[in-house]
Amino acid sequence: MISDASQRNIEIAFHRAIKDHFVLDANDKFEIEEDRNGLEHRIAGEKLFVITISSFAFRLLTIFKIIDDPHSRDYYLRSNSAQSLDEALAEAANMCSGALNRELSAHFPHLAMSTPSPLTHRCIAFLNELRPARLASYRVTIQESVRFYATLCLCCSAPIEVAAPTSEQDAAVEGALEMF
Amino acid sequence: MTHSSQMPVEDPAWQFDDSGTPLERSPSLLGDAAVRESTTGPDLSEIRQQVETLEREIAGLKELSMAFERWHDDMINLTAQTRDMNARGDDLAMIARHMVMVSINAAIEAARAGDIARGFVVVAAEVKSQAQSVQTLSAEMGKTLHKSELMTTTTFQDIQAGGKMMMAAISGLERMVKNLHSAVGA
Repeated sequence: MISDASQRNIEIAFHRAIKDHFVLDANDKFEIEEDRNGLEHRIAGEKLFVITISSFAFRLLTIFKIIDDPHSRDYYLRSNSAQSLDEALAEAANMCSGALNRELSAHFPHLAMSTPSPLTHRCIAFLNELRPARLASYRVTIQESVRFYATLCLCCSAPIEVAAPTSEQDAAVEGALEMF
Repeated sequence: MTHSSQMPVEDPAWQFDDSGTPLERSPSLLGDAAVRESTTGPDLSEIRQQVETLEREIAGLKELSMAFERWHDDMINLTAQTRDMNARGDDLAMIARHMVMVSINAAIEAARAGDIARGFVVVAAEVKSQAQSVQTLSAEMGKTLHKSELMTTTTFQDIQAGGKMMMAAISGLERMVKNLHSAVGA
């Protein structure tokens, strides 16, 4: 349903969107690496939510597992104490998925995105019931202490192809990702 | 990025800039020849009628938003109901675990009491067996409920996004017909 190259191109766009919307300062250290078990493992303080990007031929679930711990609180609430961590991270996730949606909508004419919904941990065991063409989880670490997990679950009802992004930043972003 | 071979190929005549002005002024919806002919005379009124019919159809399609809102509300209720069932399933699992523990304690106490409680040993074993059956059933039900929660949530999101996608497409059509309307002076 989707080639390895197309999967990789979606992942590059997703990684860039994560970096753009979860990292508060461009100078902050950012690491992202594939972690096959990251989504399944239960972690104290975890909260999950999902956002769907849909088109005719596919739907793309972006699932975020955030961790309510002192590191995340210090990082995300330092500039806005009136906001809860859930709100701050749900907003970041929404912006991140929105950026991915925009990236894809430039090339898929009919595309739209849902609002975020919470998920319970035990739902994750059934993701394969959606018969995904690609399921990939990533562990994201910022400043070596803030940690969360982001997952792409791509379900296709017809073959799709996604060519490489063409923006000037791609080479730099991809290079940075390969380092980790 | 490119379109999939399965995706609809975008017709240039259906493309608009940010202000809603067609990028191609040729409205292939009615056919180039028809428009060329219409600008010179007798068929213009027929084209205007067709444009007005299109406008009415599109106005009707926009009412789809009411159906989307209804589905949205229904799905929110369904999702809430699924989560409520999950919570009840968790309560049931806890009760079943408690029943197993109580039956084990009952069996121990009956054994301590000796021959006088021999009948009670049998009852305690039966209670334990039933409690374990409830526990197994509860675990299976829990799996079903969590699978249901995932399916309900993702279906809800797909419908929600699909609704937005359709309304955006209808708005695009509306802009195109509005421009056609201006072009033929209807």
